Amino acid sequence: MSWIRVCKTTEVAENSVKKFWIAGIPLLIVNYGTGFRAVPPVCPHMEEPLEESGVVANCILTCTKHLWAWNLLTLDKLGETERPLRTYEVKQENGDVLAFVDGEILYDFEQVDDMDDDAFFGKS
Amino acid sequence: MTIRIETKSGGFDVEPKAAETVLFAGLREGFTLPYECATGTCGTCRARVMEGHVVNAWATAPGGAKLKPEKGDVLMCQSRADGPCTLRVPSEVRIEHDNRPDYFEGEICEIERMTHDVIHFEIALARPIPFIAGQFVVVSAPGVNGGRAYSMVNYTPTLARWAFAVKRKPDGGFSEWLFTRAEKGSALKLFGPLGKATFNPHERQNLVVVAGGSGIAGMMSILACAERHDHFRSHRGQVFFGVRTLADGFYLPELAEHVTAANGALEVTLVLSHEDPANSHHPDYPGIKLDKGFVHEAAMRALSAGVDNPLAFVAGPPPMVDGALRMLLRDAKVPAGSIKYDKFG
Repeated sequence: MSWIRVCKTTEVAENSVKKFWIAGIPLLIVNYGTGFRAVPPVCPHMEEPLEESGVVANCILTCTKHLWAWNLLTLDKLGETERPLRTYEVKQENGDVLAFVDGEILYDFEQVDDMDDDAFFGKS
Repeated sequence: MTIRIETKSGGFDVEPKAAETVLFAGLREGFTLPYECATGTCGTCRARVMEGHVVNAWATAPGGAKLKPEKGDVLMCQSRADGPCTLRVPSEVRIEHDNRPDYFEGEICEIERMTHDVIHFEIALARPIPFIAGQFVVVSAPGVNGGRAYSMVNYTPTLARWAFAVKRKPDGGFSEWLFTRAEKGSALKLFGPLGKATFNPHERQNLVVVAGGSGIAGMMSILACAERHDHFRSHRGQVFFGVRTLADGFYLPELAEHVTAANGALEVTLVLSHEDPANSHHPDYPGIKLDKGFVHEAAMRALSAGVDNPLAFVAGPPPMVDGALRMLLRDAKVPAGSIKYDKFG
């Protein structure tokens, strides 16, 4: 549980993403021009690997598989996107990108949540 | 027999016809169940069987790869109720009164080979059925297992004659039937119209089309609709159509006519992936430009300065669709909400 150096700011080109392994945890660093984000490296929709499917433009991260998209500044969900993008806190220091890592952030794909939730279907 | 469907927006009952899939039964009754391809490849129509039992028509459907069968997850497009049952659908579902898909029959009234591996055919329907430009229909032929989704090529508001373009596929049951056994008078069963990657004639945006091979089919319908509604009088259009060689191009007379009718507002580029074009324009259809490479790369060269107020349509083989989506988002700066495509992969 600490700030960990992930990469140099110059290692991830503007409007691109790059995957790093830090202490056994995969992180995707997103450079959206005016800042950086550190996110789990899969799309929260269907686990698409974002280092391949993620496109950054106009401060928006879009997964090309089904066009789920998030505003990287506000983290708002855009269009038909149904799940939030989860993030690690990041900061820049002396030309480095650091992420605050307190264990791996994992999306709950297993539970497929809604299906098991009786309240959700008005059953309880 | 009743299928109970629980959704985020409440429950409803559906009465399937004999051997009807859960998806088609629900759509036919006007419920907006989630789907994209309707033919087992995409996985969008995921549901969970809570009570009762359904029969799965295609156990190895690619769209089912991420389902959890041990929890009762199924694809509604491949499931037939085996008795009364209850399914959960993790979406909001409304009821629609217009443009509901249904079953109908027709017979082939025109069939013509356009290139060595693309065939054009037309189906005469017993009565005119309206559809929206860009929609598709699921077609099945006698003796051929399963249905195939094909986009309508032509467009008028009510039409009793629907046109299609089909590429011959190795091991493709329906395309093989079409290329070897179909003839004028062959009877077909259809379910539709389906699909949401549609062109609304009241759109006020500049059209961008990136299509590969038979993906141009639905785009022809969209161009016909746009022309009919004078879209190109006040908006621009750019069409990038990828094929392997000059000889693989088809619908070129129709595309050239659209260019002429649009009076300078529409550009069509035929992009050849396996041949260097000898000229900048098609020798037989000078209104059509030629370029080389992959279609999304040619589109990128033309669109990298950005497109003002765009509405983009993408159709073709999955790798081309993927390349085109990346190009549109990253290079042409088209927002995801302004891109329409049917997810068949």
